[in-house]
Formats: sequence, structure tokens, C-alpha cells
Amino acid sequence: MNKIIKLLKQPRVIILLLALIISFLSINHQFNQEGVTISGIETNSSSYESGLRTPSSDVSPTAKERILEINKVKVSSIEEFYNLTEEIPFNTTVRIKTSKREYVFLKDTTKTGISVTDAPKSNLRKGIDLQGGTRVLLKPLTEVNDQDLKDIIDTMENRLNVYGLADVTIKSSSDLEGNKFIVVEIAGTTREEIQSIISNQGKFEAKIGNKTVFQGGQKDITFVCRTDGTCSRILACQRSSEGYFCRFEFEISLSPQAAEGHAEITKKLAIVSGVSGQRSLNETIDFYLDNQQVDELNIDASLKGQKATRITISGSGSGATEKEAIDDTVKNRNRLQTLLITGSLPTKLEIVKIDTLSPSLGEKFVNNALLVGLLATLGVALVIFIRYRSLKITIPTMITVLCEIYIILGFAAIFKQNLDLVSIAAILAAVGTGVDDQIVITDEILFGGSSGLKQQIKKAFFVILAAYATTIAAMLPLLRAGAGLLTGFAVVTIVGVSIGVLITRPAFGVIVRTLMED
Amino acid sequence: MFKDKIESFWSKNYKWIMCIPLTLLVISLVLIGIKTVQTGDFFNKDVSLRGGIAATIHTEKEVTDEEITSALKVPSTIKRLGDRTTGKQLGFIIEVSDLNEEQLKEILTKKLNIELTEKTYSREITTPKLSQAFFKQLMIAILFAFILMGISVFVTFRTFAPSIAVIAAALMDIIITLAIVNLIGLTVSVAGIVAFLLIIGYSVDTDILLTNYAIRKKEGKLFDRMYHSMKTGLTMTACAMTVMTIGLIFSNSSVIKEMFLIILIALGIDVLSTYLTNAGILWIYCKKKGIS
Repeated sequence: MNKIIKLLKQPRVIILLLALIISFLSINHQFNQEGVTISGIETNSSSYESGLRTPSSDVSPTAKERILEINKVKVSSIEEFYNLTEEIPFNTTVRIKTSKREYVFLKDTTKTGISVTDAPKSNLRKGIDLQGGTRVLLKPLTEVNDQDLKDIIDTMENRLNVYGLADVTIKSSSDLEGNKFIVVEIAGTTREEIQSIISNQGKFEAKIGNKTVFQGGQKDITFVCRTDGTCSRILACQRSSEGYFCRFEFEISLSPQAAEGHAEITKKLAIVSGVSGQRSLNETIDFYLDNQQVDELNIDASLKGQKATRITISGSGSGATEKEAIDDTVKNRNRLQTLLITGSLPTKLEIVKIDTLSPSLGEKFVNNALLVGLLATLGVALVIFIRYRSLKITIPTMITVLCEIYIILGFAAIFKQNLDLVSIAAILAAVGTGVDDQIVITDEILFGGSSGLKQQIKKAFFVILAAYATTIAAMLPLLRAGAGLLTGFAVVTIVGVSIGVLITRPAFGVIVRTLMED
Repeated sequence: MFKDKIESFWSKNYKWIMCIPLTLLVISLVLIGIKTVQTGDFFNKDVSLRGGIAATIHTEKEVTDEEITSALKVPSTIKRLGDRTTGKQLGFIIEVSDLNEEQLKEILTKKLNIELTEKTYSREITTPKLSQAFFKQLMIAILFAFILMGISVFVTFRTFAPSIAVIAAALMDIIITLAIVNLIGLTVSVAGIVAFLLIIGYSVDTDILLTNYAIRKKEGKLFDRMYHSMKTGLTMTACAMTVMTIGLIFSNSSVIKEMFLIILIALGIDVLSTYLTNAGILWIYCKKKGIS
């Protein structure tokens, strides 16, 4: 008892305890979080209008807004949430109670525009390989500067927002040779078209003859009709030789300058009569996406020389069955609408790596890592006990190892570091090798000769610091190598050994010394 | 006593004992050289370093490796996933460079009749260009790490021969481990190269300890100090090897298994390079400098 009080007065032990408390607070374990966490809100959906927003990726996972009730019914799982929202009839009020406040909106489409995930149990962020999802590594095809990279990322974020996809992080990264990359990580299961949404340059042009009337983006296009059925619709599908074929159309509003351009170009065109007696202009308006023609439309004769601000955009989709054709058409329409709203990327991008990992796999990895970590700690305890035959050494060694792992996790939570499989490997390896230093300290204390305990620990730290320096040296180049995909691993290793040298092992030295004093 | 027997044996034979790891090093270099001439690569690169698809399929359906390879018709690597705690098959990983994803999926679903869903199918696709860049940079990283490690060892001991001995031991660990990895036919991924990088850090731990006891400490006889340092160092290695073995047996992640297998081999080699070669160099150095 006396010894424990004595230990608690030691500055090194106090620092260790402080670090543990900070880790505990930042990891913020939640044992019975209610509700489901909002992961994304589709821009301009009715829920968006009511004030709900996609949480920023900077917000720590447990602090994100949670949906607790829908129309007074408690929500406790993702499935429940989607079942409840689907059951709500059209044009009725939806009341959503969240952890912050209550939101009320009218359900005007089949979907509410809200996506949710399970309420997180802590602030630890799992990498794509542990929680499931898609990671895309893109490389600009031309030289880009930092501003271009920022523009690309902004446009991509915009596109994903417009598309209603949340839980996405987009970061730029570079490698040892100075190549620049963009890393997109999308958590959870994703739709297939997402690849083209983020990686296509998305240069939309409407041309009459070879003259460009307007382009995608906010400069020319001030409004895109998306959810309103009166100005956006799928037309009746038709049978074709290969299956079914459907068309979509939706209206957009042009800026005054773009409308001016339309008047200027159409003024010079001649009016012709079609087969069915319709009068139209002698040139069509053609729509191009990334220099590929996607559709062409006749221009009604009444529009000749007019500053048309409302324009109908059209396109099509096809499939083997009618349902497939409709799905394809909706997909194409949504993509085109997104690109029209967000405009094109400053440069073309190439997908250099794409990984899709199943969430069920990730869950198995996490549980397994916990098991392996526990067994490894016990294994180390056994070896230490066999060697020193003393619980006074074995128990502090174990405690140190576990504290070290916990503080590494705390650091990851504070600095929003994603934990992936390779980081877990680094942490597991730290169990085996971090214990090296405890052994060196124990050894000095037990067999260090006559030079006094303090001196012995000092000597031990010489060896420890030398080993520390070499490990840091080995990890430094990894911070940048491999397009930044290994940064997490390097950071976890550097942090792990630093925490060991600065916090846990000094405390270990004091603890063993105090326990050995009689 | 056991220790006395070792001491007398060591004093008489240390010259040829320290050559055992050196011989292994030479053999390894020859083996790696032959491999490089034959295949153009000095180790077996997996798809993350060569470009291609690594598809993980979770299925309880029993499919033999032969069935998979004959269905694929192109060179491939197949890794099995199993759950040690229950002994059940979880699925397998197929790595191919010469098929695109569509082709692979078609073979899996049509020829092998495996159902692929979002839950059971994961895949990582790397373009050859990117994997080449990965490989090049990881090699640079290893070189860098090695040089930085060398500098910190020199700064620590400020003596030439002992520092070189530490660095040489690390180099031996890496090269002999690589030769063994090649011999057992392991394909190395990005994570595997990271494991080699970790070896640099782990390898020097025991060497620094040994050098510290030999040239910086003054209590007792030189042999006793080194013998004691070996006992401590072997405890360290035993701990690390225990963790690696447990990970190797119980982990269900091929990434962790690959890394831990490489580190485990290196830890074994490190025992030889540290307590046979490095100890020999230190022994000669101390005798010459009159350290006893």
C-alpha cells in the first residue's frame, strides 16, 4: 500500500497516468449509444432544406449528430431507420429527433436523402480495409499545381455531395519522387457509378454546329431541375433490337451571358419543316461529355434568336429488361445532372489503384486483431516469467505493454489517424519489440552491478535511445513513399516507439525500481 | 559449468564460428543473384508490386487450388484464408496480373460457380505503372533507412569497427532473410517490404545491447559481460518471436501473416548474425584495444 502511494507521487508515473486519462477521454468509449449516426445528407433534398447537414470529416465520430426517433418511433439500427423512412407515405410530415434538435420536413420523393451508419462505439477511426468501402487513387494526367489540386478536390467533394454520397474523404498526397495523387476513400458499400463520378473530367458542352453555347458549371448554368417531376422526367421506354431503351429529360436555367450566346448563334440559322410538319432550326443542339457526343436535339423554330434561359437537356439509357433500362437511364441522368452542377475538373485524371473491401471482412479482422493482441501479450508474459521468475517484473511489463497500446490508440483518436490493417500489424509488432526495452531496464536493475539504481536506469536508457533513433530513422522515408498509403503505418510506429521512450518506459523503470526496493 | 564450456569453446573457435553467418550471406547472395538472372527480379513480387488484381473471396464452398488454376488459365497465386480458432475455411485470395476484373469475375461465377456479393467479394486493383513506382520508392526508403540507421549507430558508439559490425549484422539479416523468403516461395507485397524495413530497426536492438556491454561497460570479464548480454538479448528475441508466431498462427489477415513470417525469419537469422559474427568482431576488437 505504501509502495503504491509512493509510486503515485512519482512524476513519471503521474505523466503515464495523465497520458492514459487523456487517451481514455479522447477515445471516448460509448457502451450504449442510442440511435444511428448521420453519415450524409443529399444536397437540396427535403431533409437538407430542413437544416440537416452532412457532418464534416473533422468531427470526431462520437460527436456526430445521431438520429434518435422518427415520428416518435425509436431508431436503433440502420435497417430500422430505412424501414421506418420507407413506410412513411408520400407528402406527409417527417419528424426527426436527433441528438441535437428536432427537424421537420415533408417527404416529397421516395427517398429522404439521409444516409446513416451505426452509432460508433468510440472515436477510433477505422481505415477502409477495416470498415469496408472503396479507396481510389487518382493521378492527374498533366502537371498540376497546388491550386489545381485544391480545385480538383473541391469539385469532387461537390460532386459527391450533389450525388448524395457521404462518409467520403478526399485528400491530396505526394510521393518521394514528387508525383501528386488524390486519394478518395468512401466508407461503406458504394454504387458502381461512383468511379466515373469522381474520376471523369466531366467536361460538358452544348454545341450548335461547332460553336459552344454553354458549358457545365455554375458560370453558365444557374439551376438544374432534379427532384421536381414537372421539369425532370423519364420518358416512356421503347423496345429495341438489344432490349429496352429509355430517354430522360430535365430543364436547366442558363445565365444571362449563356442565354445571350444562344440568341447570337441561333439568329443565323434557317427554319426547316420536319417530316411531321414540326418547324425547327436547320442545326441540332448537340451535347458532349468529355468530347463524346451523348445526345442531340432539334431546336424548336420559336427559339430562333431568343435569349433562351430555360433549356431542356436530354439523354438516354438502355438495358436488357425494361427495369434495367430505367435504372441505367436514371444513373445516366443523375451523373449528367451532377456534372452540370459542378462543372469540369481542371485536368483529366487516371485511376491508378482501386480497392473495394467488404465490410464483413473488416469486422472479422478487428475481432481477430484483438484476439491476437491478447494472446501475444500473454505469450510475452510467459517468456518474461520463465526468464525472471518474478511477478514483480512480469506484471509491470504487461501493464506497460497494454498502456503503450492504449496510448497509441488515444493518439490516433486525437489526431484523427485512421487505423488500418498495416497499422494493426505495427501495433502488434510493438508488443513484441517494445518489450525489448523493458527487458533492458529490468536487466540493468537486476544485474547492473553496484552503481545505484538511478545510474543503472540511466545506462539502460542509453541503449534504448540508440535503438529508438534507428527505428525512427527507418520509418522516416515511409512517411512519403508509396503515394502516402503507408503514412498511417509510419506514423503509428513512430508514435508507438516515442510513447514508449518518453512515457511508458520511464514509468516502468520507476515502478520496477520501487517494487524491487525492500 | 555450461557457461565455462561455452567460454573455452568460443575462445578457441570464434574465428571460424563467426564465419558461419558470413558463409550463409555468401550463399544467399549467390541464390539471389541466380534468381535475378533467371527471373529479372530478386524476389517474387505480388500484384501490389507488379500490377494486377488481388481478389478476396469469402466462401465456404470447397474449391481446390487445381480447380482454380485450371479455370484461370493464366499464372496466379492462391492464398487460403482459414479461421484457426474454428478450423473452418473462410475463403481464398486470388492474385492475377493477366486478367481484368470482368474476366476474373466471369471465371469465378460461371466456371467455378461461386456467388459474388458485396459482402463476400473484395478486390484491390493496382496498375503496373503505380506498382513500379511503389517498388522503386520502397527500395529508396530501405536504402534511406539503412543510411540513417548507420549514421545513428556511428553517432552512438563513435568507434569504427564496432559500428560497422552492427551495420553489417543488419545487412546480413536482410539479405539472408530475403534468400530464405525466396527459397520458401513467398511472394512479397508492399506490406512485406515494410516488414523488411522493420527488420532494420529490430535487428540493431540486440547488436547495440551487445556492443554496449562489450565496449562501454567495465564490470567483470569481457566474456561474462557478452554472455550476460546474450542472455538478455535472447530473452528479447524470444519475446518478439513469440508474438510473431502467435500472429502467424492465429491471425486471419494475409497482410499480417506475411509481415510476421518475414520478421520471424529475420529474428532467427539475427541470433546468428549477432552472437556469432558481431560477437566475433567485437571480441577481436576488444582484444586488440586491450578491453577485457
